[in-house]
Amino acid sequence: MNDHAPARSPQDLDDAIAGGIGESPIRPDGALKVRGEYAYSSDLWAEDMLWGVTLRSPHPSARIRSIDVSGALKTPGVYAVLTHEDVPGDNLYGLKDVDQPVLASDVVRYKGEAVALVAADHPETARRARERIDVDYEVLEPVTDAERAAHDETLPKVHPDGNLVRYQPILKGDPEATAEVVVSGTYTLGMQDQAFLGPESGLAIPAEDGGVDLYLATQDLHSDQAQTARALGLPQEKVRMTLSGVGGAFGGREDLSIQVHVCMLALRTGKPVKMVYDREESFYGHVHRHPATMYYEHGADADGRLVYVRAKLYFDGGAYSSKTPVVVGNGTTLGVGPYVVPNVRIEGWGVYTNNPPCGAMRGLGAVQPALAYEAQLDKLAEALDMDPVDVRIRNAISRGESIATGQVLDYPAPVAELLERVRALPMPPERDGTELDIRELPGGASNTTHGEGVYRGVGYGVCIKNICYAEGADDYSTARVRLQALGGEPAAMVHTAAAEVGQGVVTVQQQITRSELGVERVTVHPNDTDVGKAGSSSASRQTYMTGGAVKTACEAVRRRLLDRVAERFGEAFGDLSLAGGKIVSASTGVLTEIVDVLGDEVIEETREYHHRETYPMDAEDGSSERVQVQHAFSAHRAVVDVDVELGLVKVVALDCSQDVGKAVNPDAVVGQIQGGSAQGLGLAVMEEIRVGDGAIRNPSFTDYLIPTILDTPPMKIDVIERGDPNSPYGVRGVGEPPTISSTPAVVAAVRAATGKDLTHVPVSPEHVVDFGE
Amino acid sequence: MKPFDYQRATDTDTAVATVSRNPNARYLGGGTNLVDHMKLGVSSPELLVDVSRLSSDTVETLPDGGVRVGAAVRNSDLAAEPIIRQRYPVLAHALLAGASGQLRNLATTGGNLLQRTRCVYFQDVTTPCNKREPGTGCSALDGYTRYHAVLGSSEHCVATHPSDMAVALTALDAVVHTQGPSGPRSIPVADLHRLPGDEPDRDTVLEHGELITAVDLPALPMAARSNYRKVRDRASYAFALVSVAAAVDIAGDTIRDVRIAFGGLAHKPWRATLAENALRGAPATEATFRTAADAELAEARPLSDNEFKIPMARNTLTSVLRDLTQQEGS
Amino acid sequence: MRLKFTVNGRQAEADDVWEGESLLYVLRERLGLPGSKNACEQGECGSCTVRLDGVAACACLVAAGQVQDREVDTVEGLAGEDELDAVQRAFVDAGAVQCGFCTPGLLVAADDLLERCPSPSDSEIRESLAGNLCRCTGYEKIMDAVRLAADRRAEEARS
Repeated sequence: MNDHAPARSPQDLDDAIAGGIGESPIRPDGALKVRGEYAYSSDLWAEDMLWGVTLRSPHPSARIRSIDVSGALKTPGVYAVLTHEDVPGDNLYGLKDVDQPVLASDVVRYKGEAVALVAADHPETARRARERIDVDYEVLEPVTDAERAAHDETLPKVHPDGNLVRYQPILKGDPEATAEVVVSGTYTLGMQDQAFLGPESGLAIPAEDGGVDLYLATQDLHSDQAQTARALGLPQEKVRMTLSGVGGAFGGREDLSIQVHVCMLALRTGKPVKMVYDREESFYGHVHRHPATMYYEHGADADGRLVYVRAKLYFDGGAYSSKTPVVVGNGTTLGVGPYVVPNVRIEGWGVYTNNPPCGAMRGLGAVQPALAYEAQLDKLAEALDMDPVDVRIRNAISRGESIATGQVLDYPAPVAELLERVRALPMPPERDGTELDIRELPGGASNTTHGEGVYRGVGYGVCIKNICYAEGADDYSTARVRLQALGGEPAAMVHTAAAEVGQGVVTVQQQITRSELGVERVTVHPNDTDVGKAGSSSASRQTYMTGGAVKTACEAVRRRLLDRVAERFGEAFGDLSLAGGKIVSASTGVLTEIVDVLGDEVIEETREYHHRETYPMDAEDGSSERVQVQHAFSAHRAVVDVDVELGLVKVVALDCSQDVGKAVNPDAVVGQIQGGSAQGLGLAVMEEIRVGDGAIRNPSFTDYLIPTILDTPPMKIDVIERGDPNSPYGVRGVGEPPTISSTPAVVAAVRAATGKDLTHVPVSPEHVVDFGE
Repeated sequence: MKPFDYQRATDTDTAVATVSRNPNARYLGGGTNLVDHMKLGVSSPELLVDVSRLSSDTVETLPDGGVRVGAAVRNSDLAAEPIIRQRYPVLAHALLAGASGQLRNLATTGGNLLQRTRCVYFQDVTTPCNKREPGTGCSALDGYTRYHAVLGSSEHCVATHPSDMAVALTALDAVVHTQGPSGPRSIPVADLHRLPGDEPDRDTVLEHGELITAVDLPALPMAARSNYRKVRDRASYAFALVSVAAAVDIAGDTIRDVRIAFGGLAHKPWRATLAENALRGAPATEATFRTAADAELAEARPLSDNEFKIPMARNTLTSVLRDLTQQEGS
Repeated sequence: MRLKFTVNGRQAEADDVWEGESLLYVLRERLGLPGSKNACEQGECGSCTVRLDGVAACACLVAAGQVQDREVDTVEGLAGEDELDAVQRAFVDAGAVQCGFCTPGLLVAADDLLERCPSPSDSEIRESLAGNLCRCTGYEKIMDAVRLAADRRAEEARS
């Protein structure tokens, strides 16, 4: 039993509540989802609705001379064709810097930028009309090299103020320190796509008050609401948003996509309008993970203790800022990894180019440096003839020590323990060649090998990731909890705006409410903007933040209920608790039923939960007393078989140890770690958006490859709970770390199998194939 | 997608007459390639004549010991056919290496042979492409070329043929039967597909309106000792970087006869006659295999991103031959 | 055109269907059956998997005209009036559902597998589900769910 569940009475309760925190109740949306009845944002339908489509720029950089929509407007069945001139409010939006037009006016800055909109009575009609919009472009030379964009003043300026989005240095100790053993390397990481399966989509319904109701898939309703209202020139209360089913997110739904567009079409036509991207448009319609080029040098003493890390990190932000400033912040603060390093000099640049815009993706800004610093630790181990795990343990950060910014970790940081544990997990069986199933070998069912030329390798990766918003952002979530008697039993309802994107925050809210209020029947109200902000379902923060808000609201409800009980029964408030639908006294046992105290009354409380304050980084040296509120850690061990003859990699096992502080829902935690690990595996061996001259060359699931069930190995997951004293129930963010440490582990295993350097991910067949003479 | 008409064919003669009459008419088989291309705007026929339910969906043994495969036989059914699995394992392997189960259940034998390249520029209607729009230029030449040809390409097109099945059929000396406006004819699969030359828009030698009705596999006893290997970027549902279909007839340690075709290297399934010649009568050793591969690949000309295909093709052929010649009996 | 075919055992009709519509579009937008999903609409992800005359196929690549007079089974036809099918229950119980967008296609594919092969090996499960992409789970709990469904169906068959 966990320490935080409501206290139990001395006598047994025969109707204890099932499904509280620490248990793994089934998802409340599970049955609907397996029936095919869960309404995703692309499933919505309204009487008399129109379909909206978007015309996008074919050029990565061009001046728009003119836009002629007359041909499109004449198409039968077309109700509206809109351009930048039709944007009712500010034609600009953005998560951090407000720098992206709703519809391009004078210039386009990337291939795929939205230029015009069409609404028609059939999607095909809308698409045909779109072909009849005539845009006259003056094509310009695109800026495509991020590193040059950071330094070369002679390049064209993508935005009027230049091409630098953020530069952040971190200096700690002696930046010019020297060491006995020095290893260095240059590492590059391709552009990764979130590849959520549910395409961007939504249904906008114009309202009688001149406003609009939008049903959509997003990670943050209020952020969308604020940006959309501003672009529509409407007060926020007239732009109401309700979350529909979300087919995955992984960061790709933090920025706006259809939101303003579909509302503009609905307001203009006075009809409901639905927009659904196809997969190709989805690749152009959302941001991606920043590609990076990273120069690293590590110095250590003869015992393998790190003396210094010096690094330069270049992040390609593409055409608009999106989360680039945060990527630079995370990338630099976490750039040395989960290690104690006395002397640090890290510089990070985030730049504008005419490549596709990059922004949030799971592991934001921490995925890129982890590839580099973990490769460096392996190089160091090799230079010192040390075991790769031992060299990591020797330098592992722990509670009471400081990260590069000087922030002291005042909570458990069990990095060494995780490494020990993952190393101790059972290894997959050796291939002995006797009972070969070719499906288990590199290439799988494509019958590529019968075991000859196949080498096995083992590799490790460990990482650090900040949880929640950072650098002084006011991070909070809001919960409204209602308790009442329904049909003779106590029932609670939770209302938040925390976007359920698949991760299971809907279940977590139920579990917390059950445990806090001792009631089994808990309904989660649909997520909408009728309740206060929850912030984004990102940064591994919703169990922490919205969990904290639900807990706080429940406590307020409980206080009101128990005040009344204390008065009526003459019991001390502190002796009372709720369990199994009953009110229990520590001294006298069960006092009464919750429903009897409630009668017809409804107790409702709304509370905000804020985490501890964080502070900005110093512009000169990056120092900050608390730049981030919490850090999470995971360690992976990958085992791979590599067919060097053909260049094929088969990941045989990808096991993980992770500290989650407190597993509110252990099964969901394991699901998050397995899913995150698979995304890291994808980045390691196959996922890359190929960008050439600013264009995406593989905008489909046939050409942009994500792991199938044949590419993904069995994954043993070892979860430990070293609670954070500052967070609700001691929870620690779960979702991101496994996406970070899995990639370097897989690459290290391939290096071990092949002896090749492998400085780029994804590792492709051409990187490992034996070229012969 | 452009507007078009749809008709279901009731018999071959009418279908051929209908499509031959209209230069913008196309046959529709399983639809896995054509429907996708119509969505992308790569293909815009005025009329689709659905031949997927014509009667030729059977696999039958011919009097000479060969096997006739109806054009409408589904890829999954063909791969599961016992006679194919036993006598032509290379074909069953190739079929199962293609696409996914859901697509193999739709895709037909005739349609698979006629699937068009997966060149990313061919697929992207915003870029020039001589195959899609003759005379506009080839974007791949200076572009992203990991999947492109190293053999037999031209300055007009460097695309590769995407079918796995066709590679196996090429190695097996299969023959295609067609019904066209000028009557029926038979074409060896090896001659069905073209090299791009200066007409990359023409994938095959078929006339407009000519319909594939069946594919014949010759008796070819050595096909029982055959295999297909495909190197790709993930374990399922990815096009070949390189693939090899091969069959051998071995006596003692000597290769009496051999059939080899490469996939992923050229605008058509590449019958490796130079390698075959080098192997006939030669001892079954690693050195021979490599020499044979080098003979075939000597003319290979890589593009900026695909130099790796040459050693990869050599290694793949070597490993397939090693495997086939080391098998117990046949 | 006027389209008539059988969906989940019932006769379905749709009028004014445009030839270029896919079976997926007809199911989702004309027949009120949005369970089959539209993740790629290019036959690349398996989220629209249905049974066409009993055989698993991607509904997005089937032109509307091609389903005339044929039988289509979708995820909506798996469950009984009240009871979920064993495969559906197993996916919920095993935690194989996160965002759920791949789930309908996987359920149809898994149902198809278990019909052909009631107690599949792990390799057979992976091979059969290789045409269905999932981005959330890493597939481990999907493997668990299919094994669980196979066990439960075997149990149901015994009792």
